[in-house]
Amino acid sequence: MSATLDPAKVPTLVLVGNPNVGKSVIFGRLTGKYATVSNYPGTTVEVSSGLTWLAGQKWRVVDTPGVNSLWPSSEDERVTRDFLLKERPDVVLSVMDSKNLQRGLMTLLELAEFGFPLVVVLNLADEALDRGIAVDALALSRILGCPVVPTVATTGEGLAELKRAVEHASVVPVVTSDPPEIVDALHSLEAHFPKEIPSSRAVRLALLAGDDTVLTWARARGEAGGMEADLFAAGERARLRFARPPRQILFESREARLRGICAEVLSVRGRLAPRLSQRLGVWSLRPWPGFLIAAVVLFGVYEFVGIFGAGTAVNFLENTVFGKWITPGAAWLVDKILPWAFTRDILVGPYGVISMAFSYAFALILPIVATFFLAFGLLEDSGYLPRLSVLLDRVFRLMGLNGRAVLPMILGLGCDTMATMTTRILDTKKERMIVTLLLALTVPCSAQLAVILGMAAGLSPKVLGVWLFVLVGTTLVTGWGASKILPGSRSTFLMEIPPIRRPLFRNIWMKMQVRLAWYLKEVVPLFVYGTLALFFLDRWGLLKMAERGFSPIVQGWLGLPAQATEAFLIGFLRRDYGAAGLYTLQKAGLLDLRQVTVSLVLITLFMPCLAQWLMMFKERGWKGALTITVAVLVVALGISGVLNQVLLKVPGLVG
Amino acid sequence: MTEMQKYPLPTAEREDVEEALGLLWHQRELGFTEGAMLRRSLSTAGSPEGFDRLIHLGFIKEELGQVWLTPTGEELARDVTRRLRLAERLLTDVLSLDHTAVDPNACVLEHTISPEVTESICTLLGHPGECPHGHAIPPGACCQKNDALLSPIVKPLSRMAAGESGRVAYLQLKDHPELHRLLALGVIPGTPLHLHQTFPAFVVEVGESQLALESSIAARIFVRRAELPEMS
Repeated sequence: MSATLDPAKVPTLVLVGNPNVGKSVIFGRLTGKYATVSNYPGTTVEVSSGLTWLAGQKWRVVDTPGVNSLWPSSEDERVTRDFLLKERPDVVLSVMDSKNLQRGLMTLLELAEFGFPLVVVLNLADEALDRGIAVDALALSRILGCPVVPTVATTGEGLAELKRAVEHASVVPVVTSDPPEIVDALHSLEAHFPKEIPSSRAVRLALLAGDDTVLTWARARGEAGGMEADLFAAGERARLRFARPPRQILFESREARLRGICAEVLSVRGRLAPRLSQRLGVWSLRPWPGFLIAAVVLFGVYEFVGIFGAGTAVNFLENTVFGKWITPGAAWLVDKILPWAFTRDILVGPYGVISMAFSYAFALILPIVATFFLAFGLLEDSGYLPRLSVLLDRVFRLMGLNGRAVLPMILGLGCDTMATMTTRILDTKKERMIVTLLLALTVPCSAQLAVILGMAAGLSPKVLGVWLFVLVGTTLVTGWGASKILPGSRSTFLMEIPPIRRPLFRNIWMKMQVRLAWYLKEVVPLFVYGTLALFFLDRWGLLKMAERGFSPIVQGWLGLPAQATEAFLIGFLRRDYGAAGLYTLQKAGLLDLRQVTVSLVLITLFMPCLAQWLMMFKERGWKGALTITVAVLVVALGISGVLNQVLLKVPGLVG
Repeated sequence: MTEMQKYPLPTAEREDVEEALGLLWHQRELGFTEGAMLRRSLSTAGSPEGFDRLIHLGFIKEELGQVWLTPTGEELARDVTRRLRLAERLLTDVLSLDHTAVDPNACVLEHTISPEVTESICTLLGHPGECPHGHAIPPGACCQKNDALLSPIVKPLSRMAAGESGRVAYLQLKDHPELHRLLALGVIPGTPLHLHQTFPAFVVEVGESQLALESSIAARIFVRRAELPEMS
């Protein structure tokens, strides 16, 4: 097989398979590179590539988003299909879940139509054994006519054999099990494609399966025209004959063939007693004890992020590392080297880059975000998050969403900017719009959450109670309202639930590092710009002017001290930064209980940070982003003001 | 009631009339009500004088070139369509007949099924909404009552209880985008299925995959009860 390769060109090896079968882990094993791995369908939205040495040659290895079918019905499936058509890989690793062989083979049959040399990777062999499922790899290899390698990617078992097998990759011959009408239809389309078009059969099948996305590709490749009429006629003939859309007939005929293959190569020794993880998987899906488990999980996350991350770690970094060493040290150094008032103020003054920006970024935010991403990674890799989607589906339906929207909302508790990007996994424009709005309005990010919890910590628990009540209420009412106003529809809830798996710490740690790096790259410059902006605003007296200008709103309607304006202005730059400003005010004893409560609600609801705002423009377009901005301003000021009035009348609510 | 009245033997004439009315019903579904055209299609279907007979019997009227079913004609047409389409479902889902055998047999069956048997079949099949060709089955009295006394062989997933198992019989989704996703996730007719829970969402195990779905999709996945022997 390697003889056919052009020696001047680096050959491409691509991994294709169903979601959640371990493609990214194998990719990591082959290249030593990290691709976002998670136990949540739809995580790899982009193609990632790396290099490796196989059979004495350099290869480009490419990881693709998981596909349920190569006749795409989602964005990520299209990415994979387009990659195959355009890049024409030299070898394809068809990765499948050994315990779900039939589904994996279904994708393999679709893949075989493209005509690439294949190697079948039977991954998750350990999970299959646990369930008493054994696959005869040799027999399967004989039937398919290509190498078949069982692996356990997480431990590296079978990887050496896999590397050796790449040399022997071979084209799996297409065995047609389709009824004659389909065969005729495929044949009738052949006339429209010049012979030299690669993967013509795969394209024709896709067209017949009703995959419109491949039409443009076919046209660009000199399709002779008049094809659509033939296609329609063929489709109608098949439909009349079988009373089902051609796609379903294709699936059914393949299913029948695969059932035969599976009968030959699969042996099920009856399940062993379900493991605790499987039982947990079942329990966590039911209302009882599912909600109890959810409460325990949330409490655990709170303890780890809210108490350990935001309490212990922040205290140490802020008071000891920065308070005792870095800030005084920097002040001393600046005095020595740059002994001018201006440089001292800009670096270590009250609005100094080191004393304010760096200490906020590294002492306050870093430990919180790091602990959140660790906890989130754990939930993600264990397969718990989709279970939360099931539990909360009904609640989300009130807001014109479905359970799938749970993931971006929870990720929003980590970083709303990242979550706004993740709204891509939602099916309809309306759902993406509603979730983007809620992320901007009511979902506090982890950094902000930490400061908020810190502020509320020493106070009556009623403060936190009122804050939570207002937030949840606003989420439900705004979501409900938006679902009534916005045009479009909700998509139906249909989601694959992965098994509960024991997460690999190494993987979670790596994922946390990748996310943290992204976060820091995003945050630190903004912190510095924000601090500089504040510094100059303060120096030129503009801060005082803004405070005076906004005082009717801030002091009148919201009942807050004038200095709070600063926190809200800067809150636009970084949400947590704004919250931190309030924290300082509170420490200085400038806020009473009512004011603390109102400002907590306001800083949560108020404008998203600059990064998230820009992301909103990128993802929702300027029209959508501006609409959301106006809605956020109106709702945030409205609700906080009303809360202020209510608390003035009934101070007992928080005191 | 005499035996003759209870089970009237289908006469050739009645069969022809029913056949013709069924055809008109279907043409109307497709949006064709033009007299001249329907006259032609009846005669190509092998009944040249059928159109005039229907007018003569008072089942249809022709006004301004348009054909209307009279109330009696409407009832009879609806009834025969219902019987034909239920028969198709029965042959396809329960007897798992090959599609080539379904059409001719259903055409014979439709004329011999009595109203009581029609209701029983409908109930047995879980009050299906569409025939295998994807055309609507006109609902009968039993569908409104939603008779649960006779436990159906094929029923929508949404009516199954947690813990029940079966095999996917058919999907009533036509070209709906969810059909593509369901097929790709392995919900293909013939696949074994086990229902884990129905609330807050339906959770099913299909093959070796676990899926969560909402009731509106569950209502469109028809499942054949597990105990029945396979006939194929």
